[in-house]
Amino acid sequence: MNRKEDTEPIIDHLFRHQFGKMVSILCRIFGLEHLETIEDAIQDTFIKASASWREGIPDNPEAWLTTAAKNRTIDLFRKLKSEKERSKYVQSGASTIAFSELFLDHEIADSQLRMIFTACHPALDPRDQIAFALKTIAGFSQKEIAAALLFKNETIKKRLSRARASIKKEDMAFEIPQGVDLKKRRIRVLEVLYLLFNEGFHSTKKDMIVRQELCGEAMRLCKMLVDHPKICDSETQALFALMCFHSARLDSKIDDFNEIIDLRLQDRSKWYFPLIVAGNSMMIKATMSGVYSPYHYEAAIASEHLMAKKFENTNWKKILFWYEKLQAISPSPFNLLNMAVVNLQRNKPELAKAIMERVKPQELGQRNYLYYGCMAQYYKAIKDYKQALSCYDQALSTVQNDSERKYLEKKRNKIQLLME
Amino acid sequence: MKKFMLIFLGADYQKEGLSPDEMQARMGKWFAWNQKMQEAGVVVDGHALESETVRQVSGPDRTVTDRAGSEIKELVGGYYIVKAEDLDGAMKIAEDFPDYDLGGTVEIRQVMVFEQ
Repeated sequence: MNRKEDTEPIIDHLFRHQFGKMVSILCRIFGLEHLETIEDAIQDTFIKASASWREGIPDNPEAWLTTAAKNRTIDLFRKLKSEKERSKYVQSGASTIAFSELFLDHEIADSQLRMIFTACHPALDPRDQIAFALKTIAGFSQKEIAAALLFKNETIKKRLSRARASIKKEDMAFEIPQGVDLKKRRIRVLEVLYLLFNEGFHSTKKDMIVRQELCGEAMRLCKMLVDHPKICDSETQALFALMCFHSARLDSKIDDFNEIIDLRLQDRSKWYFPLIVAGNSMMIKATMSGVYSPYHYEAAIASEHLMAKKFENTNWKKILFWYEKLQAISPSPFNLLNMAVVNLQRNKPELAKAIMERVKPQELGQRNYLYYGCMAQYYKAIKDYKQALSCYDQALSTVQNDSERKYLEKKRNKIQLLME
Repeated sequence: MKKFMLIFLGADYQKEGLSPDEMQARMGKWFAWNQKMQEAGVVVDGHALESETVRQVSGPDRTVTDRAGSEIKELVGGYYIVKAEDLDGAMKIAEDFPDYDLGGTVEIRQVMVFEQ
């Protein structure tokens, strides 16, 4: 084997991404019903690599892993043959692609897309879909999924095995649906990617690395959809643009102590410009059809924030306009809450109050502290500090997340200072 | 300079359920350790050993036992032969062994030299 003397470090997450690729390719060859065997076989390949690369990393680590996976596939193939359990793929004869062609880049991408669509199959419990996607497409271990989604290891284990069982039970085909089915399934695929992204972007319980990885995976997968001419539509492009805009300010959102930084106080020079550029050019493509989805409006809102050099320059009127559009096609109490906040920023507390009257705190579920936090801001704006304080107390009595609690406490203390 | 063999025991990556990312990180540590030793010019030889095929031959009848699939803990996973001033020097080298946290052990043995 060729060894590199002055070796560059291996690409971050090479193993993880390679895992996702290999699972997809092998599922295409042997069928989804062999998923578990396939995952074990790939795990073996990595164990082998991690021992044999100790003294030096091969010139082309990716190619090394691919070859090892291919060989392992052939082993599997023999094993299955001897069990007289030929896969459908093998039986389909003339229409099959040559084995080695499956390892070409575009075929690998195709296999991975099949896996994404499989993870979002309606027969899978929506709660299982994300865990399954993280495992089979993104190459996260059970433990890593548990840490990323903030569930117990046991819960993730159950979800994964439930997903596998449903796949077997349904005898699911490993394919990208077509026509109307593609449209329907794509909606769910985008939803799952959106959830995955938000899991990284919004939860403050996780450390920065986990957050970046979740956002990064969601973006990587979304990019694969964008790059596929038959799958990509304007909604997919808008979601990708939205992810770019949000990620651009991921670093500035949280301080060194994992506490939320108010948008007002964020260091705007930390925003990552190349992602803003990528988001903008994707947004141009996304708006060409003239049909707008909720992702379009969310992206528009995010980009308005990015356009302001300083917080004071924020075009709140424009943001409110986008929120109204969003609310019209996808009504949610959270939109109303945001619209109220925007009106408070515009020094129009009476408009904020009117919007807040349309929100019932119980509609917000576990996040009803946001309602009380917003009401507190309203009372602060009209200088009714006593009411503001009591709203903050109510918010603090329901908030669960530590950094959000700290954030609210800070705000509450400020009110108390104003009262003295 | 004396020669020492560092023998690695234990640390079963499979059993630990390491994720692809974790395995990559671990490999990076092995690699860094090897680099460090190479730069210091102390490595004489070293290899990782296969554990898929392990065969033991023992006794006057040359009884063959297939030990593939045995507990990794009982198997030698690899070795290095390094040059060091004394046992303490070899121990210093072994400090960077990456798998202590997974229950791995390094056995340090001086290579015997026969007086001519």
